[in-house]
Amino acid sequence: MTQISTATPTTTSGRKVAISLRGVSIGYGDKAIVEGIDLDIYEGEIMFIGGGSGCGKSTLLSSLNTLRAPLSGSIKIDGIEIAGADEDTLQRVRRRFGMMYQLGALFGGMSLLENVRLPLEEFTTLSNDAMDDLARAKLGLVGLAAHADKKPSEISGGMQKRAAIARALALDPPIIFLDEPSAGLDPVTSADLDAMIVALNRMLGTTFVVISHELASIFSIGHRFAMLDGARRRLVALGPPLELRDSSPDTWVRRFLSRTPSGDA
Amino acid sequence: MTHAAPTVRATPSGDKLAIAIEGDLVLETVGAVQKALEAPLATKPRRVSLDLKGVSRIDASGVAVAVRLHRFAKAAGLPFDITGIDGDRKLLVDLALRGQDPQPAQAHLGMVREVGMRAVEGFNTLKDLLRFCGEVSVIALQIIRRPVLLRWNDTLVAMARHGTDAVPVVGLLGFLIGAIIAFQTYDPMAKFGAKLQVADVVGISIVRELGPLITAIVLAGRSGSAFAAEIGTMKVTQELDALRTFGIDPVRFLVIPRMLATLLVTPLLSVYASILGVLGGYIVLGPKGITIMQYLVEVRAALTIGGFLQGLAKAAVFAILVSGVGCLAGIRTGQGPGAVGMSTTRAVVVGIVAIILADSVLGSFFYSLGI
Repeated sequence: MTQISTATPTTTSGRKVAISLRGVSIGYGDKAIVEGIDLDIYEGEIMFIGGGSGCGKSTLLSSLNTLRAPLSGSIKIDGIEIAGADEDTLQRVRRRFGMMYQLGALFGGMSLLENVRLPLEEFTTLSNDAMDDLARAKLGLVGLAAHADKKPSEISGGMQKRAAIARALALDPPIIFLDEPSAGLDPVTSADLDAMIVALNRMLGTTFVVISHELASIFSIGHRFAMLDGARRRLVALGPPLELRDSSPDTWVRRFLSRTPSGDA
Repeated sequence: MTHAAPTVRATPSGDKLAIAIEGDLVLETVGAVQKALEAPLATKPRRVSLDLKGVSRIDASGVAVAVRLHRFAKAAGLPFDITGIDGDRKLLVDLALRGQDPQPAQAHLGMVREVGMRAVEGFNTLKDLLRFCGEVSVIALQIIRRPVLLRWNDTLVAMARHGTDAVPVVGLLGFLIGAIIAFQTYDPMAKFGAKLQVADVVGISIVRELGPLITAIVLAGRSGSAFAAEIGTMKVTQELDALRTFGIDPVRFLVIPRMLATLLVTPLLSVYASILGVLGGYIVLGPKGITIMQYLVEVRAALTIGGFLQGLAKAAVFAILVSGVGCLAGIRTGQGPGAVGMSTTRAVVVGIVAIILADSVLGSFFYSLGI
């Protein structure tokens, strides 16, 4: 993997908002897990969203990627309201982002090339050769061009995640959601994946929203970190990760980011 | 977002093809660029270069143009260079071109290779089958010596699921098949004045042949497929590996209870299907003036103990085949999401073929014995 310099300091002033949340409550049925989330995610930002187990980060992701409507509040992606939106609007918004699931969720019966080709076949009128070239280019960007004809079961877990990112990139969306990209990966593979995210972010200007509590990744590539707390049912911290770790007024946030056992003061 | 339509200039210079692109090279425009490159590339140049200096915007789809030219050049063994990019754009293109060299075509061995692969596959299947039969036999003998080794609770649960729960469908099919046989044979028999002998036809065909056969086919569809899916899913989720690392033999733990349960319930279901099949036959003959007593006496006269035992023996053999094939298909499940589905299909298809083959062999065998 080509070495890419890590996160650059982020200034939020004057930047265009890619995703905006106002007063968002998420949960199941009538039961809210987290309430009143106000959050702006800027274009070209690598935003990590995390928190303890069961804090609602995956539920929030499923609201951001339009699969689950929030209980209340407003979520806008590229200025389009998705809370309570009709199916046509949601379909339009879905073209604005790509999604990588925790286990890759590649289609096992297809080769990597076919997996990346699928969105192109569904949403473009390109020729077969052109779609092949595009799919190969995207696999090349994640370092998998030489494995284009392999099935997902023939490659490692880390490679599957990279292939899933290539698939998420298929239609060049400005936003990519990543669900636990480092889960189950060894530190080197995880670092490679982080470097790739930074490279794509820098080269393409893609906004990355990463659900993770992998501290190494949060500190090395995260521009900002939004922390949810299931116990207090709210967003408890938002800012550059190192800054939050060292000087957050919230004890739980400092403890979480410095990996301090709960028994210690 | 609107994009500047790209222009493609392909300038042949001697044996070199110099391609220069200007405008936006993005998902929305890359198709047109690819198309514009077809004719120049068809001129079979000896060297290719790509100038991207005039490109105002390039995204992850735009680099596909570079990928196309790179693969074209590599496949033809031509030199290829890209100019007019630096910084992040160069990095983007360089990343996209990694590993893009066309793979050397595999030697085409055609039929010989295919025959060889099939032969190896067949040999492996046979090996697995023999190993499976050996393991089942050895463990069955161990259990006969020490019955405590059998998981009795699992066996009873399997008997309920694959026996009791199959009662309605087996009964319905048996009844209808009996009625259909009577319906189809009544008219031809009546022409010879042998109306009552329709009972003989129904009794013999149902008890000796169709009762066990219907039961086994239903079991192949219900139980054989279920065994393959259950055990196959456990294989995919590494539960079989977990059993082995505990020192528990999956054949004793999973296969024997299912096979024993099937072996115990199939003959009973077969008898039940036969009884309902005989009754189904009377549904047709009753309205034709034949009394129930006449019918039953005729059926009883047509049947022999040997014929009845023949039906039971067939049912037992079919049970072993269906459950064994189902469990083996589960154990041989491969990797990937389609593997369990393939195992399930294999369990049903191979199970039914095995049943019919065994029925032919057993039928000939019993006939040669005069049973």
